[in-house]
This record gives sequence, structure tokens and C-alpha cells, in this order.
Amino acid sequence: MPTRSALEVRDLTVRYGDTVAVGGLDLHLRTGETVALLGPNGAGKSTVVNAVLGLVPSTGSVLVLGRTPAAAVRAGCVGAMLQHGGLPGEARVGEVVELVRRSFGRAGRAMAWPLDDLVVNAGIEGLLGRPVDALSGGQRQRVLLALALAGGPPLLLLDEPTSAMDVEGRRAFWTTMRRLADRGTTVVFATHHLEEADAVADRVVVVAGGQVVADGTAAQVKAGTSGRTVTFTAAGGAFDGLPGVTATERSGDRVVLTTGDVEATLRALLAAGRRLPDLDVRGASLEEAVLSLTSRPRTPIGADR
Amino acid sequence: MSTLLAFQLRRVGRNRQFLFFTVLLPALFTVFFTEVFGAQAGTGSAYQEYATGSMVAMMAYGGMGAALGATIRISFDRASGWLRQLRVTPVPASSVVAVDVLVGVLLVLPGLVVVALVGRFVNGVQLALPTWVALVAVLWLGSGAFVALGLLIGHALEEKAAGAAIGVVGTVLAALGGLWVPVELFPGGLRVLAHVLPSYWYAELGRDVVALGAPAPGTVLAVAAFAVAAAVLTAAVVRRRPSPAVAGRAG
Repeated sequence: MPTRSALEVRDLTVRYGDTVAVGGLDLHLRTGETVALLGPNGAGKSTVVNAVLGLVPSTGSVLVLGRTPAAAVRAGCVGAMLQHGGLPGEARVGEVVELVRRSFGRAGRAMAWPLDDLVVNAGIEGLLGRPVDALSGGQRQRVLLALALAGGPPLLLLDEPTSAMDVEGRRAFWTTMRRLADRGTTVVFATHHLEEADAVADRVVVVAGGQVVADGTAAQVKAGTSGRTVTFTAAGGAFDGLPGVTATERSGDRVVLTTGDVEATLRALLAAGRRLPDLDVRGASLEEAVLSLTSRPRTPIGADR
Repeated sequence: MSTLLAFQLRRVGRNRQFLFFTVLLPALFTVFFTEVFGAQAGTGSAYQEYATGSMVAMMAYGGMGAALGATIRISFDRASGWLRQLRVTPVPASSVVAVDVLVGVLLVLPGLVVVALVGRFVNGVQLALPTWVALVAVLWLGSGAFVALGLLIGHALEEKAAGAAIGVVGTVLAALGGLWVPVELFPGGLRVLAHVLPSYWYAELGRDVVALGAPAPGTVLAVAAFAVAAAVLTAAVVRRRPSPAVAGRAG
């Protein structure tokens, strides 16, 4: 029976000893979505990925395409690149790929990818005969991608998938991901590369302190947070309480005002008869949005929220 | 499971060190010890006795080394993240464990057979055919104790310590268990120590077969007790290890 929901996480809690890594997290993904999980180190991104795969004990409920994590993995419904996954020594790439392909085949996933196709999409041409121990970091990561794709799974979970890839490898990687998304694959990736999330994801989920702190398109996440910044040079003066300003930061003579209403802020500044040398107005980047969502402003000298 | 088994056997087979220490070295020792010490024993029954004893000890040495070497390597697969990777494929965790055990059991056989052949055809050890068969079979079964011990070490130790343990544990158990120098030549204290080591009882299985045609119940009990203890401890270590690479469960 087809299900519209690729992933349903309800009240997910994961504890490591006394530490709560994920506390009561909810997340619902529709099939075919490409979702970026963003957040600083220790935010709980990897823990969420691991819990969805049934790799860590958790409470709450996780349904992957309507099944429990363990059942979904056994049925070959999920492909994953783990942050601490790895390849076996003393083996050749082709042997490892074949082993994993066959395991998906036996699980009833028709070989969605003929080997040649898989090799091209994972970008491991010419590597099948290589000993695993002789691979570079980027090559290793592409072989791990091949293993994740081997069964042509409807849901892909990728934890920092491009961290060891060079620029070219990264571009090829995301081309493959877009192709998969077009075929209806649900892709979830945790990343530090905000520009990747901005460019690739239909939906950005920001995780901090083990909870979802923002969820929407990249544009919505940007708009819903720090707004825009007004930057200029001024030796002194206080800028708190100006209309629209939500945060004030100063480094040397440089003043950075974060504002929800650029026009009102500028009018107020100019009405005060102030000169504004080196004036610069910018939209917040996704990076600033995530930073403002997941951390307190650095050296705040004004109102903060 | 057969695909995974073939895959794992191929990996270990590629390791020349493993083949050297578990097949070639015991075979060379068998010839060497018998040439040097057996010759001093003179001829006839004294030589036969020495040659047979040395061959049995080397079969035990090779069997133990292979069982430990094949299973302690699990630590490397945990460290590399491969075990964790396997857990997100449809390969069932039970198959992974079963294959680990099978690989250990199967890799014991080459060393046993090669040393027996060297004993028979190079050193001229004379045994009845049923005794040869029983000797290999009993030492093969008995190696289960070291498969269990290797699994315990492989799961309990981190990569570097496990790498060292492959050589150290085998060497210590061989030396103190009387596989290189017969226990009868040990001073009193060491002789007592030998009797609490699984390596001594493992070789005793073979000596029993040569002397009595079958292992004595006490010897079987001793080896079985080591096997069960190691297996129980392994299960406890796997259950307690927080790392999901080994024992993670879904909640």
C-alpha cells in the first residue's frame, strides 16, 4: 500500500547516560522531499539519523515508510551514509559493492540499479578493482554512497555526506541527488555546508539542543529569523531601541544592526542627522539565520531576542 | 549468509601474516623441533613418541592461533565502521555473528591438516587411520573454545590493543600451556599455571586421542568450560557496549 509519509517521528527522545541528545523531537516528511538537517555540532542531527535507522536506543515512535526502523532496514527501504560508517580492510571495492547489492536483492528490492548505472551515479568508475585500503577520503565517501544507493531505496539518509569530497566531487554528488529526488526518492541530509542546503533542499529543518527550532523552505528560515543587516562605521553612540532593530553588534568602529524593517531603521538613523559612512545593507544568509536560531548573538551591545 | 561468508573468508585469505602464523609456522616448527630434539631421542619408539607429541602440540598451536587470529579481527571491523555500515544494509545482525563464528571455525582446519600431513609424511609419525581422523576432528571441535575467546577479545578491546593481542595472547598461551616445551619440563609453579590455561587442555585433547583413542571426559569438560565462559562473557560485553556498532537496539 503506498504511503504519502516517508518518515514520521513523534516525540523522539534519545539519552546517552544522563545527557539528553534529542528531546521530544517531531518530524514528518512526505515522500519525494529533499530535506536538509542543519545545526551546530552536538545539536542532535546525527542522533536523529541514527535513531531513524534504529542504531541507537530511543523512546517515542519512528515510522519509516510505515515500518519500524529495524523492519525498514531489513526490507531494504533505507539507504544510509553514516558519519561513522566505514569500509572493510583487505577487500576490493567491487566485492564490497557486490555484497551489499546482493543483500538488497535478497531483501526483495529488485536490483533497481544495474551495476554499471550504480557505478556511474555514485561516481566510482574505475574503482571496483581497487583495494579499499588504497582509496582517498573522497573516493571512500563515494563508495559509501554506492552502498547507500545499492538497493535503490525510497529513503536516503545522509549524514555529512560530502565532508571528504572536493568541489567537483560535491557537485557530482548533488547532481545525483537531484536526479534521485526527481525519481521520487526522499532524501534527508545533515550538513554543515549551508550553501548546499540552500541550493539543494526543498525544506530546511534546523536542529538545536535536540529539538527542531525552525522548519520551512530555505527562504522561510532566512526570513523568519534575523531579517536583514545594516552595517556602517561609527566611533560611538548607542543604537538600541531603534525601530526594527533586533540585535546590535559592534566590532571596532563597525556597527552591525540586525533589523526586521530596514526602511524604518534607516529613516531613524538619518532623522537623527547621523552620517553613515561605509553603509551596507544585506539580506541574512542562511548561515546567519541558523546561527541566530541556534546560538546567542556574540558580544551583544543592544537588545537581543 | 553464504555471500557474506565467502566475502569474509576471502578477506582473511588475503592476509599473508595470518596464513604464515597459522599454517606455515606451525608446520615449520613441527619439522624443526622433531629434527632437533627428536633426533636426540634416538630411534624407534622414543622418536615416535617425541614426533607424535610435537606434532599434536603444533596442531594445537596452529588451531589456536587460527581461531584467535580470525576472530580478534572483528575489532578492526568495529573500528573502521564496517560493522556499523553493515547494520544499515538488509544483512541481518544474526548472520553477521554467525559468519564471524563460522570464519573462525573454518580457518582452523587448514593448519590442522597441514601439520598432520607434515607429521605423517615428513616426520614419519605412525598412527592408525581412525586415530588421524579423530585427532583432526577433536582438535577442530575443541578450537571452538578459542573462537569464543577470540570473539571476546575482539569485542572487548579497541583496535590497537586487539592487534597486539592477536600475537601476544597466542604466544603466551602457547608458551605457558606447554605447546612449545612440554609441561613435564616446566618447574612446579609454571606447571600448575599451565593446568589452568585453555591451551594446555586443548593440546591434551589431542594427546588423549593418541593415547586412548578418544579424549578423556575431564579434558572435554575443561575445554568446554573455557568455551562456555568465553561465550557468556562475549555476550555480556556485546550487550553492555554502548556503541551501536555492536549492540545498538531500536527502541
